Amino acid sequence: MWDMVLNVLKDERAIAFSIVLLTAFGCTPASMTESPRDIQLSQKWELQPGDVVAGRQVLGGLGDISLALNGDAIYAPFDGRVQPYKPNCVIFSSEEMPVYLFRLCGLNQQHFGFRRAGQALGTGDELRLALLTKQPDGRWAIVEPSKKIIEKMLQPS
Amino acid sequence: MMKEFKAPSLVLQYLLAGCCLLTSGYLLATLNLPFNPTSALKERQSVRSTTACTEIVKPKATLSRSQLARLLTVPERSSRRNVQQIVKEPYCRLPNVSIRAGAKTEREIHPLAFDPQTSLVVLYEGETYVGYGFKRP
Repeated sequence: MWDMVLNVLKDERAIAFSIVLLTAFGCTPASMTESPRDIQLSQKWELQPGDVVAGRQVLGGLGDISLALNGDAIYAPFDGRVQPYKPNCVIFSSEEMPVYLFRLCGLNQQHFGFRRAGQALGTGDELRLALLTKQPDGRWAIVEPSKKIIEKMLQPS
Repeated sequence: MMKEFKAPSLVLQYLLAGCCLLTSGYLLATLNLPFNPTSALKERQSVRSTTACTEIVKPKATLSRSQLARLLTVPERSSRRNVQQIVKEPYCRLPNVSIRAGAKTEREIHPLAFDPQTSLVVLYEGETYVGYGFKRP
């Protein structure tokens, strides 16, 4: 009988050990560092968000839509990934929507890495959003985002 | 004799089962492991709802290596018909979305025959082939 109890205890110890191992090595969240995204723009505008002119940082440029977020969040329209891009800007990309990128500037709290559709990408007071579409030569062009996609990004799903 | 023998072993079994439950509960609590099946289920459902096909077109459709190689030679922004002649019917369609003002983006899914975990997503806007991407689960 004691053999059985000891065996069970041994099993329990094995289970506990596996759980500790799994927690330490298997279940730790993925690293939160995201590599910066590099994009070649097809439009040759002189000033882009993040550039500096006479010591002042450019916050938005041609093609940006400014949204009064008033401290609220902007949400992922699809499952996708947030990467840093220039000071104060991020790029959101999605495998479900391969030829489009969102450039979001002015977020205070940014969440880098993989985000599920409907999860917050960050919060901000005044968000500047640009939609980029991939050109046949591999560069990205700024195009006008639809009202529907902006509505979707302003509401958690 | 049998009854006398069975009764204590049953009690012991219950005791051991109780101990096991308590230990696993203790471990879950001390190691701060999530134990919330409903939230896990909700998450899975929300994932499915964002990536689910709205329409299954051809359940057995897959894309071969040679079809993929031919597709990659088609320049983006060319005719939708050119691409559809190569990739044929898709496995399914994702919901249409409006991303760019004035355009409706249609997305078709072609699972890769040589890598079933990966699917080719092909995007069309009207009669124009817009581009492709690879989607993993």
